[in-house]
Amino acid sequence: MSLSVKHLLGIKELQQQDIEQIFQTADNFKQVLQRSIRKVPALRDTTIVNLFFENSTRTRISFELAEKRLSADTVNFSSSGSSVSKGETLIDTVKNILSMKVDMIVMRHSASGAPWFLAKHVDASIINAGDGTNEHPTQALLDAYSIREQLGSLKGKRVTIIGDIMHSRVALSNIFCLSKLGAEVTVSGPPTLIPKHIQDLGVRVEYDVKKALEWCDVANVLRIQLERQHKPLFSTLREYAIYYGVNKQMLESLQRDIIIMHPGPINRGVEINSDVADSKHSIILNQVENGVAIRMAVIYLLSGKRDLVD
Amino acid sequence: MRVNIRQAIIIGAPSHNDKAADIFIENGVITAIAPAIDKKADVVVAAEGLHVSAGWVDVFADYREPGYEHKETISSGLNAAAAGGFTDVFLTPNTEPVAAGKSVIQYILQKAQGHTTSVHPLGAVSQNAEGKVLAEMLDMHTHGAIAFTDGWKPVQNTNLFLKALEYAKAFNGVLLQIPVDNSLASGGLMHEGTVSTRLGMAGIPTLAETLFVHRDIELLRYTNGRLHITGLSSAESVAMIRRAKADGLDVTCSVTPYHLALTDEALAGYDSLYKVSPPLRTEADRQALIVGLADGTIDCIATHHRPHEWDAKAKEYEYAADGMNIQEVAFNVLLQATGNQVALGTLINALTTNPRRIFGLQQPVIAEGSPASLTLFSRYGDTVINRENKRSAGYNNPFAGILLPGSVIGIINNNNIHLNK
Repeated sequence: MSLSVKHLLGIKELQQQDIEQIFQTADNFKQVLQRSIRKVPALRDTTIVNLFFENSTRTRISFELAEKRLSADTVNFSSSGSSVSKGETLIDTVKNILSMKVDMIVMRHSASGAPWFLAKHVDASIINAGDGTNEHPTQALLDAYSIREQLGSLKGKRVTIIGDIMHSRVALSNIFCLSKLGAEVTVSGPPTLIPKHIQDLGVRVEYDVKKALEWCDVANVLRIQLERQHKPLFSTLREYAIYYGVNKQMLESLQRDIIIMHPGPINRGVEINSDVADSKHSIILNQVENGVAIRMAVIYLLSGKRDLVD
Repeated sequence: MRVNIRQAIIIGAPSHNDKAADIFIENGVITAIAPAIDKKADVVVAAEGLHVSAGWVDVFADYREPGYEHKETISSGLNAAAAGGFTDVFLTPNTEPVAAGKSVIQYILQKAQGHTTSVHPLGAVSQNAEGKVLAEMLDMHTHGAIAFTDGWKPVQNTNLFLKALEYAKAFNGVLLQIPVDNSLASGGLMHEGTVSTRLGMAGIPTLAETLFVHRDIELLRYTNGRLHITGLSSAESVAMIRRAKADGLDVTCSVTPYHLALTDEALAGYDSLYKVSPPLRTEADRQALIVGLADGTIDCIATHHRPHEWDAKAKEYEYAADGMNIQEVAFNVLLQATGNQVALGTLINALTTNPRRIFGLQQPVIAEGSPASLTLFSRYGDTVINRENKRSAGYNNPFAGILLPGSVIGIINNNNIHLNK
């Protein structure tokens, strides 16, 4: 069994069976991570480069840990801003690295579609670790995996995504992933942060966060980018926190318990209050834990290696 | 030199309109048109389905000399134009220095001498095309500028554009404008719609275009000047111009071959070859543009030929340059895009009589005794332009290597002949 794709560029290109297969493989790796020796030899002699053209802490660490747990050799390349600003093109940067016999590329980039562009020009498998405002596929996989862990199946479940939908690759990948797995999705937030045509992707739009929470089984609260304040997209963080932030009082007013997720890093007191982030409703740290198993599964399946641990 | 064009269907000839005849040309002058001419010729042109019309006009193209000769020189551009069937090309002021004064206008005209295709430089509306202060349009007009535009930097300041429309009235000048409101379009990477949402790319709303079409039509109504809107991309724009024409305003417009041929679905693979401004829009928009061309709302074809070196496009979509290198395949793309929806005569009018009428160029007559300014083409045959046979210096032709319908046989103009193959 292998995936229907050579690269993990976006969820939009995956089949439902691909996602199921990644989840089953992640189940195995999650068991590995509970053992006393949390490492498998599957990717000995495979070299992976983590190319981060945009700042990242948790995604980069999660990928690096996943690679090391698979016994792959890893190389890290970080550069703030684009490769263009450094004077070297993306193709040149990557081809230089590949000539040193690197097998796989994990890339984060500020430009939407950059991994698709790269895939046309290089042979190695590419894993998209976030591209512009487009996709963050491993985040969506680990989010869906975490929901599956809590609720058994995604089918028919209701998920609300709250916040800056317009600029969020997490939101877009989540919409694709959840839809492919049979969940229903509502997006919520200020109208200026919700793309005008988002309903064409089969999601509901609800500007009232309270109503969106009442509707759902799971709420995925997105980080609000502080710099968006200076573009005419919303007024102040204060107003945002009051009308779009998720707090304990709001959750307690609901008819039933819902699961709270956040891709991190959290702006406490803005999009989510500490009394929610640290509550029993929150599975934020489970998401982080599952991120390693999901990334191990993706890397392993794309590597083409067959000797999976029992 | 004597040229005999055998059994060509002549479009727009006073005597032999739409009939097959031989055309004999001696030293650049048509000396005979008859059912069969059996005179000795240096060049004999014959082809299946051969048509002859007045030479074609492209009202908006970029050659980048002076300043950006690595993208396209006047010479390489004119060779591409000839291969594409164009006898007359209007060049944007997108040069360095900007064609915003008579010296650059004269330089371009002088560089184009000796070519089969004629050049008609477009002067800038504002100094350095910065949209702040009016350029010396009258002086440029006197020295050969055919019309005025700030090219890919449409004039944003409403008052400046109003004054420019008024100022050009003194010499019956036409202003060309690509309708884009930068405050709505900036940051956008493609048409805002379902596809941009799916691709996670920032959108350029149709509103960024329609607001400016509306603004400029109202400025025209106020000034009674002359306006040509180029690069229409949306159904709403076509409808607005149709209404403005019905109101009797002197507004005309042009469309690119690629807006007639492609939609935003072409961007599904984030391929920067399809990154153009204004952006490719929806199938409904494309169909409305075709209808607009067919019913005469759209007057002209503007290739928006915008050549770039390979490196300008071989990068992340967001960072890649705008524009398509398309002059050589413009006719083939037009044929493919419009199919049976636009009559051949209508399409040829948009390439010949309409632009000459709007911009005040003399209409060539296909009759004995007239100088030959002709395009020879066929709806039959196939054309493939690739890296080996292309004339343009640019590398950004998304139709490269693709088999396209129809063929341009060549052009005769300026007492020169250019034949493809």
